[in-house]
Amino acid sequence: MRLSYIAPRKKSAFTQELQLLLTFFTITLLMIFLTYSFLLFKNYTFVQDRNEKLVEKENIMNSIDAMKVQIAFIEKQKALSEKVYTKNTVLKDSISNLFDLVPMRITLSRAELLHNGLILYGVTPNRDVYNFMLQAPLRSIFHRTYSSFYPTENGWLRFVSTNYIDNEELVDEE
Amino acid sequence: MKSSISRQHIYLLVASLILFIFVLIFSFAVLIPEGKEYRIKRVELKKANKELREYEYFYEETLDTYKNLQAKNRTIINAFDATFSPYRFEKQHKKHFSELTVSELNIASADKDFAVYEVNTTSQINSPKNFYDFLDAVNKSDWIIGVNFPINFKRDGELIRSSFTMKVYCNNKESNSTDSESVDK
Repeated sequence: MRLSYIAPRKKSAFTQELQLLLTFFTITLLMIFLTYSFLLFKNYTFVQDRNEKLVEKENIMNSIDAMKVQIAFIEKQKALSEKVYTKNTVLKDSISNLFDLVPMRITLSRAELLHNGLILYGVTPNRDVYNFMLQAPLRSIFHRTYSSFYPTENGWLRFVSTNYIDNEELVDEE
Repeated sequence: MKSSISRQHIYLLVASLILFIFVLIFSFAVLIPEGKEYRIKRVELKKANKELREYEYFYEETLDTYKNLQAKNRTIINAFDATFSPYRFEKQHKKHFSELTVSELNIASADKDFAVYEVNTTSQINSPKNFYDFLDAVNKSDWIIGVNFPINFKRDGELIRSSFTMKVYCNNKESNSTDSESVDK
């Protein structure tokens, strides 16, 4: 027996309210998980990037250290070369001064330049010429001066002049 | 008393409540700590970037200094690197002497950076000026050479026979090889 004139409409479990709710649920959960995934991904990339930067920094630091060692070494080379060049120049001036020191009337036959002294061999017409014209300036330069004379056949004197600078002064100079 | 809320609405309300509680728990337990970590790591990365830029700048600066120093002292660096050749030395400086003989190279001392070799030289010169010229030329030669005591001058007829010791300074290659390797890298 039919109680109604219209055909019954099919009832679905997904009512409009439920559909709305599910859509809301889906969007909410999607947003939350997407945010979470974004944070996880970003944190991972941050860590990776930071590690890369640290490795890069370490490499740069090593290169800088190596360069600093090289710079220090070049500075050392420069200082040593300048010292050697200066010593050569000073030596040249010293030898030049030594030869300028010898008066015309005295003839040198041999000169020995030592680290702490000077030995001169030569011929002088007489002691006075030697004493006033050579020994006096030598005495002003060296701490200890010794001279010895030997007569030659022509009446002149052969001399050996030994002059030393005390070691303390040499140590100070070095 | 009969409730006006239908059963279906109660289900929907319960489901909404569950979602709300889940969202709250998830946010406070997971999302917010992760967000805090994100901020910390972002700051750390920025700091690392800033430090790296500073180091890069410092590296460029040091490299500039190094290259400039190297360019300015090229002759000295090459001179320290050069191996002393008595034959070449004689050839270069013979013009200052009537006769020049250079002995074999003997090692005098060596420290971490430099090795010092000694060479004995005998020569004949016309006048002391030749020796002064030689001392000037030695400072411009291919090696770092220091003329050392004792220096002897002896009259030999019209000429002056001279003998002296020279110290040749060069890099101690054994100890420096490791340093240069590290820079090459």
